[in-house]
Amino acid sequence: MIYDEPKFLAGGDRYMLIEFGNEMNLELNFMAQGLASAIEQNKTKGVIETAPCFASMLIHYDPDAIAFRDLEKEMSSLIGSLGPSDDIELDSRLFYFPTCYLDPWTKKAVDDYCEKITKKEWDPAFVARLNGLSDVQQFVRVHSGTEYWVASLGFWPGLPFMMALDPRCFLTAPKYNPPRTWTPQGTVGMGGASTAIYPVATPGGYQIFARIPVPIWDTEKRFPEFEASICLFRPGDRVKFVPVTVEEFEAVEAQVKDGSYVFNVVEYQRFSVRNYKKWVQSLDRTQRF
Amino acid sequence: MLEVVQPGLETSIQDYPGRIGFWNQGFPPSGPMDSWSFRLANLLVGNEAGAAGLECQYMGPTLKFRRDGVIAVTGADMQPKLDGQPVPMWESVAVKAGQTLALGPAKLGTRAYIAVAGGIDTPEWLGSRSTFHKAGVGGMEGRAIKVGQVVPVASSGKGRAGRKVKPEARPPFVTDKRWTVEVVPGPNDDWIDKAGHERFLSTDWKLSAKSDRTGFRLDGPQWTFTEKATNKAPEHGSEPSNIIDQGYPLGAINLAGQTPIILVNDGPSMGGFICPYTVPSAAFWKLGQSKPGEVYRFKSISVDEAQELRKRLKSLCTPSSIV
Amino acid sequence: MAERVETMVPGNVWKVLVKPGDKVSAGDVLFILEVMKTEVPHTAGADGTVKAVHISEGQEGVDAGTVAVEIG
Repeated sequence: MIYDEPKFLAGGDRYMLIEFGNEMNLELNFMAQGLASAIEQNKTKGVIETAPCFASMLIHYDPDAIAFRDLEKEMSSLIGSLGPSDDIELDSRLFYFPTCYLDPWTKKAVDDYCEKITKKEWDPAFVARLNGLSDVQQFVRVHSGTEYWVASLGFWPGLPFMMALDPRCFLTAPKYNPPRTWTPQGTVGMGGASTAIYPVATPGGYQIFARIPVPIWDTEKRFPEFEASICLFRPGDRVKFVPVTVEEFEAVEAQVKDGSYVFNVVEYQRFSVRNYKKWVQSLDRTQRF
Repeated sequence: MLEVVQPGLETSIQDYPGRIGFWNQGFPPSGPMDSWSFRLANLLVGNEAGAAGLECQYMGPTLKFRRDGVIAVTGADMQPKLDGQPVPMWESVAVKAGQTLALGPAKLGTRAYIAVAGGIDTPEWLGSRSTFHKAGVGGMEGRAIKVGQVVPVASSGKGRAGRKVKPEARPPFVTDKRWTVEVVPGPNDDWIDKAGHERFLSTDWKLSAKSDRTGFRLDGPQWTFTEKATNKAPEHGSEPSNIIDQGYPLGAINLAGQTPIILVNDGPSMGGFICPYTVPSAAFWKLGQSKPGEVYRFKSISVDEAQELRKRLKSLCTPSSIV
Repeated sequence: MAERVETMVPGNVWKVLVKPGDKVSAGDVLFILEVMKTEVPHTAGADGTVKAVHISEGQEGVDAGTVAVEIG
């Protein structure tokens, strides 16, 4: 449900959580990111930083500069002045990543889990079956067939949580229980309705089925995309996973290692919620790739 | 300037308020857990209250000075000794090149802070010198200090020996292993039922040994929920405490299943569990100084009261507390 | 000459390496605690014979300052 009025919740003495709704719906994330962008432009007094999430936004504010109730009024009025979410437009970069689906590395991690923790069906087969797909090949076509919207970053620094933009490619998957103790760096996985990329090898609970050879995290800043920050993504970026073979993966991996890899990123585009929604209306959602 | 002879259990460079402005990329602020003791240490040696210093946990380091300088040790009582002789805490002390400062196991409290006049001078990462070891940023090469490293200190210090913190300006450590910790209800307090709130506020919660700078795990009774938690869209998750992933306030008491974990300085910035209460910034020093096995009794206060406490603490962390 | 070896940190007992009657030398590791995922070995301060061991392997949540091993 999208709330008629957003809810303003207190988080201790310095945080405000604004809830726009209580479902997984891109619209709610557009609202969160639209507000984050408006706050930045408005330079709202007392706001130190913002962090949008799926259906909400966290604000870190300075209580010496603004009281909670006044911040609530400011945000209410700013949200009101933004108009309908259809009006939202955001700068949005598009990244193309060579992606090895059904790869041997995530398979090994799943096999390891089956051996040491508990047996489970191989993740891509499991997700294909749960979503009524004919086989893992169709799963690859469906998962890779859409651009993904970076809704938020977190849980681990630089870890993007993404939502499929093409409704014909919506998939869901439960999380591991108990979670894995490790996941290969660069793994692409799904949990609930979101897709994530693991920036480094960490424990995790998402269903895993692909891997990218390209870093999304670089403390050494070996590539220009990491100039501003160690982490590649910002909320509002988009990602397209381009299926490649193991050989192609390894070729790109070698380029990353010797520093010759050039990121495939389109930087001039602007995402229009109105245009996006019009496009979604035009689709036959009963069709899968 | 500071040669690491012995690193202690986990000693790291921190500054205050830490790494700010990168929450939306998943970076927590890091910084000192007991920013009260930390700021006073800096003020004692003539630094800005937020200058980079060392946070020592459980067992302190042994450091050899390569230059003359002025230092101060505050926080947990790790019985600091200079060349084997005890030195006072909460007081600035002159040190000479070649002397060695040794901190031992914490007798009262858990985290001690060492400030050096001039401030630690390592490279800043995303605007801060604070160590975030999970990501390998800040500090000494992204991690806690190691044997043989030399921690650089800026030479522009204005320290004077013999300055003291007024006794009434020091944090009041408990001696009976019981802490009253202030909490503000929210953001997700409406997910817990009345009995659940009463139970939370009337329980002696025990700090688990499975606690560190990413989270403080609490042992205690089960939580009970309102309909909001049990009657929700399936995409929230299957547990009553599951919610659609949301940003976590620093200090949030995060309910992972039935286990409350207080999210502290190096904790996750977002996730899929509810946060029924949040520990306000003014109470963080209590978390920083408590030991596993000690007891927390939580006291519910309003946002306004929490902000009053913060204001009061801020006014104590100024040169007016130093004589 | 009795020595009471106390725990220096609070934590879980990971390993106990001695039992009553064992002869130990100064510097021998008597037991190892674990806190914040770090091992903290505790050693004998002087030579002697272990008189009593008050902790056990796997014991959780031992307070700092607990008398763990007595050496005579």
